[in-house]
Amino acid sequence: MAALSEIRSSHAGPAAVNACNDTGGPDDSLVRAAQSGDRAAFGLLYARYSRMVHGILLARVPFSDVDDLVQDVFLQALPRLASLREVSRFPGWLASIARNRATDFHRRAKPNDEFDEESVAAQSELVAPSTRHSSHSSAEAHAVLDAIRSLPDAYREPLVLRLVEGMTGPEIAARTGLTHGSVRVNLHRGMLQLREILGRNASPPAGGAL
Amino acid sequence: MMQENYLWDGSGTPDPEIQRLETLLADFRGSETALVLPAELPAAPSKFRGVFVNPLSLPRLAVAAAILLVFGVTLFFTMQPKTVPETGPAWEVANIQGEPQIGTKAIAADQAPSKLHVGQMISTNGDSRASLSQADLGEIRIEPNSRVRLLQTDPNRKRIQLDVGTIHAAIWAPPGTFVVDTPSAVAIDLGCAYTLQVAPDGSGSIRTTLGWVGFHLNGRDSFIPAGAMCSTRRELGPGVPYFEEATPAFREGIAKFDSNPQDSSARSAALAMMLSEARAQDALSLWHLLSRTTGAERAQVYARFAALVPPPRGVTRAGILNLDQSMLDLWWNSLGLGDISVWRFWEQSASPQPSANSQQLPQKKQSLLKQQP
Repeated sequence: MAALSEIRSSHAGPAAVNACNDTGGPDDSLVRAAQSGDRAAFGLLYARYSRMVHGILLARVPFSDVDDLVQDVFLQALPRLASLREVSRFPGWLASIARNRATDFHRRAKPNDEFDEESVAAQSELVAPSTRHSSHSSAEAHAVLDAIRSLPDAYREPLVLRLVEGMTGPEIAARTGLTHGSVRVNLHRGMLQLREILGRNASPPAGGAL
Repeated sequence: MMQENYLWDGSGTPDPEIQRLETLLADFRGSETALVLPAELPAAPSKFRGVFVNPLSLPRLAVAAAILLVFGVTLFFTMQPKTVPETGPAWEVANIQGEPQIGTKAIAADQAPSKLHVGQMISTNGDSRASLSQADLGEIRIEPNSRVRLLQTDPNRKRIQLDVGTIHAAIWAPPGTFVVDTPSAVAIDLGCAYTLQVAPDGSGSIRTTLGWVGFHLNGRDSFIPAGAMCSTRRELGPGVPYFEEATPAFREGIAKFDSNPQDSSARSAALAMMLSEARAQDALSLWHLLSRTTGAERAQVYARFAALVPPPRGVTRAGILNLDQSMLDLWWNSLGLGDISVWRFWEQSASPQPSANSQQLPQKKQSLLKQQP
């Protein structure tokens, strides 16, 4: 029989955000518009900040769960948006929601669920196949991501946003609400630590991966 | 030694180590999936705007974003002006990564946003990205290895040409305002958020992340809602759209169906594959197949479609097999993917023409763009 409800619930349809015909503008005006119920404005905020949220989550939770959690973050943010008094704080506010969501995820997960060998192997299977990477590269990619995730919060998040999501330092600062100086220092220090970890993990016969 | 500037904003001498990590980690990057919001928002009055809105026909929270692509045998031209006057209205160009160029002039990372004037081209190499923006239009992100030229900008019409590469657009201008030329298409009325790609051979694809998008060629329409994709082929036009979550076999069937317009046995085999793989969620594709099949094949499509998603009252088998438009529209609207009356309104409207006072390319170049069926 028909599964219209399934179709409607699984795809945008009438529930999709109307992103058209808004005057748009700087983020502050978008946030204000979204606070007053403008779905188009919220849609544009999603378009602008989904990469940041994806990166923050990727720095903390298994890759296979990130996309769903990105949706959760924005669905959580929407009804709470009205309570945000200073619209200029939206980036940092949204980033906090993302970090909290990651924390909730682990709170509900089994102990040692995230980075044990079994879950890492499962994640490898769930990584979308790429014509650019061999199985060796895929394993190496996971190893690098794990190495980034092992870094302190202040370092792993900007590194994921920079190296994975492709955001520049200024973009990271703008989207997360951090200062340029903070982001720059954390990128630099994080990269130094990452090099050290990857250098330690490199197999001697390969002559060091990096 | 790590190149500090490259790590910071991608400028300066590329750091090979960092570049390698970027390449290695690229598969983990976010894929910009569509945001699905609940139908009812807390204290969200309807704010649907747009000259094409018919409040009597649209549901309270209906979404409509019209993109009209007219495919045809357009003469694709490359214009390399020796000099382009840097005067008049312009769009803002910002460096996101590397060193994109306007003409032969590089845009450094640490400089204020540059201006792109009519006739000028912005290009990105493998390491650079840029963004285009205009206050009453939206934002367009230009990915590596892309070339975009500004053709026209005035209050009622803004037009660019995508020669090759990828753009991500988030548009809030009213439908009918923004236009994109590609080697196989002229795009009119772009809205919402989407990614448009053009390959060197002129073929392309579009992926909608918000709202929905329509393609049109000689009476063939394709509608692409959020979460769906559609490929285009030079001289063949838009293919059958499909949701990204369709099964690989289903998507394979669509690709084979679209790429073999003259090979009836290949098309039949592809159609059989699609129909066997189709789920209720693939109603989007099945609806489009009705108008792209004939005779017994159309009857097969109808049978499968009706079994998965029974037609609403007022729709008959005979009417659908005869491609009765009102019945097709009724069935489309019952899928909950967007109110087709918005599209029909734009179909009946004359194509917007450049205004006399618009800042645009010289007449000679405009005439080349108008050569389309």
